[in-house]
Amino acid sequence: MEKRLSELKPGETGVIVSIQALTIHRRHRRRHSWGFQRRLEDMGLTPGTKIMIMQSAPFHGPIEIYVRGSRLAIGRGMAERILVSVEK
Amino acid sequence: MKKDKIIISLAGNANVGKSVIFNHLTGLHQHIGNWPGKTVEKAEGTLHFKGHTIDIIDLPGIYSLSTFSIEELISREYIAVENPDLVINVVDASVLERNLFFTLQLVELETPIVIALNQMDMAKKKGIKINHEKMEKILGVPVVPTVATSRAGIHELMQTSVDVVEKGVGKPTKIRYGEEVETRIQKLSEMVSRLQLPYPARWAAIKLLEGDEQIEGKIRQLDPEIVSVARKLAEEIERIHGHSCSTVITSERYEIAGRIAREVQEIVPLRKLPMRERLHALTTHKILGYPVMVAVILSVFFGIFSFGDYTSQLLGIVFEDLCSVYEGVFGTGMLATLVWGGIIEGLIAGITIALPYLIPFYLVLYFIEDSGYLSRIAFLMDNLMHKIGLHGKAFIPMMLGYGCNVPACLGCRIMETERERLLATFVVTLVPCAATSVIILGLVGAYVGFEWALLLYVIDLLIIFVLGRIAFKVLPGESTGLIMEMHDYRTPHLKTVVKQTWFRLKDFVIMAFPLIIAGSFIIKLIDVLGFLEPIADILSPVTVVWLGLPAITGITLIFGVLRKELTLLMLATLFETADFATVVGFGSVQMIVFTLVAMLYIPCVATIAALVKEQGWRRALFITVFEIAFAIFVGGIAYRILMLTGM
Repeated sequence: MEKRLSELKPGETGVIVSIQALTIHRRHRRRHSWGFQRRLEDMGLTPGTKIMIMQSAPFHGPIEIYVRGSRLAIGRGMAERILVSVEK
Repeated sequence: MKKDKIIISLAGNANVGKSVIFNHLTGLHQHIGNWPGKTVEKAEGTLHFKGHTIDIIDLPGIYSLSTFSIEELISREYIAVENPDLVINVVDASVLERNLFFTLQLVELETPIVIALNQMDMAKKKGIKINHEKMEKILGVPVVPTVATSRAGIHELMQTSVDVVEKGVGKPTKIRYGEEVETRIQKLSEMVSRLQLPYPARWAAIKLLEGDEQIEGKIRQLDPEIVSVARKLAEEIERIHGHSCSTVITSERYEIAGRIAREVQEIVPLRKLPMRERLHALTTHKILGYPVMVAVILSVFFGIFSFGDYTSQLLGIVFEDLCSVYEGVFGTGMLATLVWGGIIEGLIAGITIALPYLIPFYLVLYFIEDSGYLSRIAFLMDNLMHKIGLHGKAFIPMMLGYGCNVPACLGCRIMETERERLLATFVVTLVPCAATSVIILGLVGAYVGFEWALLLYVIDLLIIFVLGRIAFKVLPGESTGLIMEMHDYRTPHLKTVVKQTWFRLKDFVIMAFPLIIAGSFIIKLIDVLGFLEPIADILSPVTVVWLGLPAITGITLIFGVLRKELTLLMLATLFETADFATVVGFGSVQMIVFTLVAMLYIPCVATIAALVKEQGWRRALFITVFEIAFAIFVGGIAYRILMLTGM
């Protein structure tokens, strides 16, 4: 089943399916989506990567995930764009 | 080959202990500056090792060699174009996979590398055992295990480095991608190798496939044909894998990094939850995290400001005594007054204001950053800071702004991109500092009412929110959400923290003091020459007509540029009373308007100096002029609204 990373609960694991491009922001269209996706990938969030949700900050704050042996904090807006497949 | 001078650069992820190694190597022979034209810090130092003079350059901590941040761009241009004799890649042994991803990119740049496998103690605590000899064999690069905080392995690291520079070593093992990607890289790199590029052909070919705009641009100038071939090849890869070509390459690179990590490390699961994990759980806890944060921040503030206040006053007394001694020797003639009031007072302002607050601030900032707590605060505060277009990390400089804008401006360096740095710096200069609070509480709080003082703080927050949002919309570039590694808690290396503080402080003094002294000299000169009153008259259309204030307040606002609390002291001097309630023509409305203007207009001269240092003359000037104009605008509006309410 595919879900957004932001919808996962603490303790759940999943495998990254894809990262949705950023919505177009007037000028500099291409660079925008590119930079955002590249940044996530450079931090190890590539398709096929296994991740585990550790916790999320209250009031719609960032999400803490465990990926490739380290702990990352990801802003909610970014987490909404990461599609994850969850076994159920 | 014996070289007289060897250039070595340190590269690696953030928080891997690079600066600790840098400090061990260079001791007190270091220089902190900026990369030419950039707001990125450049740390350089010299080391003498067995008859060699070695220049060490500490590159910024980064995760990749793409062009996402200025740091990444600077690092890769430096390594590829300046060609240091050797790159020491500092690797965090406790997070091997992520670190190796960066190592692989360095290998692709075909620069001579020695790996410092650092934080071996941390890895051991996490139950990770690493076979560094095996790692050396797989990568084809010398690997030296180190524990930088206790200096273990540093000597061996330098010995190996010098050996590599003198004798050279075999080529590192080539990183081979999957078949579909590999054949296309080879095809492209053959084409690229015919061009005269400062980069290795294979690396440039990979970057072309990844769609790297900077490399594309450079190659298009030489041979546009290659770029279109690269695009076509990238599309082919995209069709095969169903993901963009850069995604495929990054994935495969991480795959290789993961495979190497699994081969060389052995992980023994820990039986007991270690202290640092419990600390992490507590400090990021949904509910408990916040009181802990508030307690930490309050005690930090209390510490910084009680130290700052005490030292500042102590220094003030010392200088007052000095002043009477000075007057005894040189008299109170015009020249003597000018020298004391202009130059020496400026120096005193710098020493008594900036230093007592800056020293503890720097110490604390490095301490919470190195320990890992800063990233936890960013985690908790991210959502709130997003409302003004910034992310969690900006919370720290903003809070600091309430104490003093100077360290707050300098603290904006913790932001990642140039855009965020500018945005944070701008927001920070709008925060009322301790001196501004003296005016707010001492004038409005004391004479109009506490609720009005409180209202001014609320108005300021609203202004920050609105202007922050506008600046966020107007400034070009991508707004980046938070993506941040939260590394394990650890005890910061005290010596490194102290040295970092010392060298940053030196840098600031050299930059800011001349500006502070010049500023105070000019104002004193105007005063001594008797130009203050005429200037107050010139300003009267603004002060009297637009703001509805007594004309002499213009003078106090000029002096406020030196130190904001001076506006209040000057006001008392000029009104010849410290009881402002008795002054005719300076009622509640005037007090509120005056305070509002003093709160918003121009950051003091020390802050301007910090702005110039961080953002350059142009932006510093722009922010300063904008804030003066904005303060006057808001003041005038407030005056009219308050008059309407019949106060």
